[in-house]
Amino acid sequence: MPISGVVITSRPTDKAEVLRALAAIAEVEVFGDDAQGNVVAVLETVSSEEMEKLIDRISKNPFVLHVGLTYLNTEDEAERMARGEPLARPFGFRRPTGEEP
Amino acid sequence: MMAQTRREFIRKAAALSAASYVGMNLPLGPINLVLADDGVTWHRGSCRLCGVGCRVELGVKDGVPMGLRGVTESRTNFGYLCMKGMHFWKCMRHPDRLVKPLYRARKTDKFKEVSWDEALDIAATRFAEAHKAGGGAAVAYYGSGQALTEETYLFQKVMRGGLQSNNVEGNPRLCMASAVGGYMSSFGADEPIGGYADLEKAHCFFIVGSNTAEAHPVLFRRIMRRKLDNPDTVKVINVDPRVSQTSRIADMHLQFKPGTDLSLLNAMAHVIIAEKLYDAEFLKNYATFRKGKGEAATFVELQAHLAKYTPEEAARTCGGTFKPEDIRTAARWFAGSKGTVSLWTMGLNQRKQGVWANNMMHNLHILTGQLMKDGADSLSLTGQPNACGGVREGGGLCHILPGHRPIEAEPMRRQVEAAWGIPAGRIPAEPGLHTMAMFSALNEGKIKAIWINCTSPAQSLPNCTLYNKGLDREDVFIVCTDIFPTLTTEKANLVLPASFHFEKTGVYGCTERRSQLTKKAIDSPGEARPEVWMIREWAARLAKKLNDPVIAQCIKPFVGLEEGYALPQAIWDEYSRKLTAGRDSDLSGATYAVLEQMADGVQWPAPTAEYALTGGTVKKFVKGRDPLATKLSKNDLPYQFYGAAHEDRTLWVWLRDQANPEEIPDAEYPFYLSTGRIIDHWHTMSMTGRVPELLRANPYAFVEVNPRDAARLGIKPGDMVEVRSRRGVNLLPAKVYEGPVEGMVFVYWHDQHPDRMINKLTKDAFDPGSKEPEFKICAVQVKRASGPQPLQPFIV
Repeated sequence: MPISGVVITSRPTDKAEVLRALAAIAEVEVFGDDAQGNVVAVLETVSSEEMEKLIDRISKNPFVLHVGLTYLNTEDEAERMARGEPLARPFGFRRPTGEEP
Repeated sequence: MMAQTRREFIRKAAALSAASYVGMNLPLGPINLVLADDGVTWHRGSCRLCGVGCRVELGVKDGVPMGLRGVTESRTNFGYLCMKGMHFWKCMRHPDRLVKPLYRARKTDKFKEVSWDEALDIAATRFAEAHKAGGGAAVAYYGSGQALTEETYLFQKVMRGGLQSNNVEGNPRLCMASAVGGYMSSFGADEPIGGYADLEKAHCFFIVGSNTAEAHPVLFRRIMRRKLDNPDTVKVINVDPRVSQTSRIADMHLQFKPGTDLSLLNAMAHVIIAEKLYDAEFLKNYATFRKGKGEAATFVELQAHLAKYTPEEAARTCGGTFKPEDIRTAARWFAGSKGTVSLWTMGLNQRKQGVWANNMMHNLHILTGQLMKDGADSLSLTGQPNACGGVREGGGLCHILPGHRPIEAEPMRRQVEAAWGIPAGRIPAEPGLHTMAMFSALNEGKIKAIWINCTSPAQSLPNCTLYNKGLDREDVFIVCTDIFPTLTTEKANLVLPASFHFEKTGVYGCTERRSQLTKKAIDSPGEARPEVWMIREWAARLAKKLNDPVIAQCIKPFVGLEEGYALPQAIWDEYSRKLTAGRDSDLSGATYAVLEQMADGVQWPAPTAEYALTGGTVKKFVKGRDPLATKLSKNDLPYQFYGAAHEDRTLWVWLRDQANPEEIPDAEYPFYLSTGRIIDHWHTMSMTGRVPELLRANPYAFVEVNPRDAARLGIKPGDMVEVRSRRGVNLLPAKVYEGPVEGMVFVYWHDQHPDRMINKLTKDAFDPGSKEPEFKICAVQVKRASGPQPLQPFIV
């Protein structure tokens, strides 16, 4: 379960919109916000893959100016990799001819 | 699955971490941080990716990398990281890592695994053969702004002092050479005068040809914060043909036809002079004027030269996308602010007139005196993490020796030879081949052996199809060092598995002249080894095969040293103490012992350990703040421009003109093509393309099309679009949005798939001064090929 700590920043006048958008996302827990437009949140997803999609989605919100990451823990996933479980490859890596590398 | 209690501890630790960055108190208690860190050791270093130089700590548990956090005391990132930096830990244990040396005699053979002994022997044999047949001209090294300083320094030492070849180049030729040329010709010395510390004191940001929000996101955060905290008193001007994430914080965004920004910059200078916004005192004390190839000029000549660059004319030249009054406003904001920082990157550098564009940026700062004081600087943003430290400072380009020494100056060669203990005359007097000339020489079979380190020119060179021909030649022996297979390792005879970041020790020098140390934290997978070990072992064999004791002399100080720390430390000691001492890039105070004590690193010049421990020189050329300015002071003035390239010790304002790109649209190829990066992917995607979460978000390159162009061409979002230049064709899915200016398409360059490798289309024209190619502009045809198609991302 990758877990990250983030500071999501918007213009103070847009913060309410950002908080509304974040409230609709199950993987986001908001821990606080301030008058400067900063929102402190924890993101937890089922995989690193989903973590990245989530951060991208938040970044592309028109009211969000910046997503600053401060901390990431992916020990579950790292342990699975260390045990030899294959990395998720949703699309596969293939040459144009269809051969496997 | 993580135990519930541990999970809660980690969640709270994550929240506390983020909250602490913005001074927010959370009622969670610090105990969570301790418990979350149970079993984890944190190892400090620099981020592997862009030129910001963020300081990170890699979390390792049971020998496995499993986390990252920022270093809050670091003066580069203050603890913040970005999406790319958050995920590169996965590359360390990725199943695709190269773990054994691979060899094939012919490039059509399959690779077979060989031992290190065999591999190094083959590399030495083939280089020796090439050298015997053709001397230094027949061999080459092509390196990288991602290689450690110790690697670049040692490679070039063996090449120049050992093999007597100045065919030493690196991929920063493709991104930063024009910035180097600009600094040298405007200021007399390479690299910025100020640095990031100016951001929090600036009152005006002039961001040109840089999508800072996506390419240097952690630095963007500092600019954004400065603007948000001072919405009325801090102005942001964004100059870019493309609307990007960066434009969101801009008070003014000026779009223009690609290549016409030179007239925009001159028009700003025109206004500055016409409205007497220049700093006459600063000009009188510190500046002179130049034209042509360096002939003296005067202020009056500059004024006459700029007369035709009226805002009205510039607005017309730029395509009528902004009003003349906008230029006047921009000039007034620039000149009148309490401190203006300009930032730029590839939009200005990757141009046939890249040096001129850089000169024009510096002109604005010199004319207005927006330099030297806190909050004012002309800050070229570096793309790669070690283009500055390793390549620009460490002697990694064909025309410069370590310590910013031009090769053509005989005393400089003598100094380096003496430092290396090799005979005078050993280093050739002429520069070697610059990158485009080097790969042209491969095409012609003139170079018979090349070592390509940590970069993939098969994809990253402009007009890449042409240069792939040379890489395919059977009479050109290619050694590649890398961590993953790439399109370039596909062309090699010998592939050597390299240690990755945190698997080896070494220094990176970032955008703001700051060198920072990363120490080995985990072992390399399989048989991967650090490059510094490979170079030493290869050179030892070369010395025997060529029966040349001078080659042995080049590595003598490093023989027998343990490769994880002692070897790179010895290399750094030699470089910093013998080659930078007394030079403008003096890092002799920045020993490993000093660097290890620091949260971040040391800005040169830093001639003593005591001074280095404070962080070094924040502002160059200022007496009392720059030890060299104090030492080399010639008069009572506070600023001393001691840069070696300007014997008159002044800043030079250049009379430069608008000049068209090499290839502009015409009736047959009516669109501009520009290229660039997006936040998720880095360069040729060999690393970031293997991180599934990054790949999924942007699995392949798109072509961005302006909505008005899309409507005219019948292109809808997701449609497949054929983009064709005189050199090649790509088939890409379309993104339709108000990004690129009308008449221009923009393509991300990271895709390895042959249908979507945009460098097949780009033009290999280059700046005559810097030799940097014009990636940013060429002419294309654009037409809809079909509706949306299912696509597979491709990676070697």
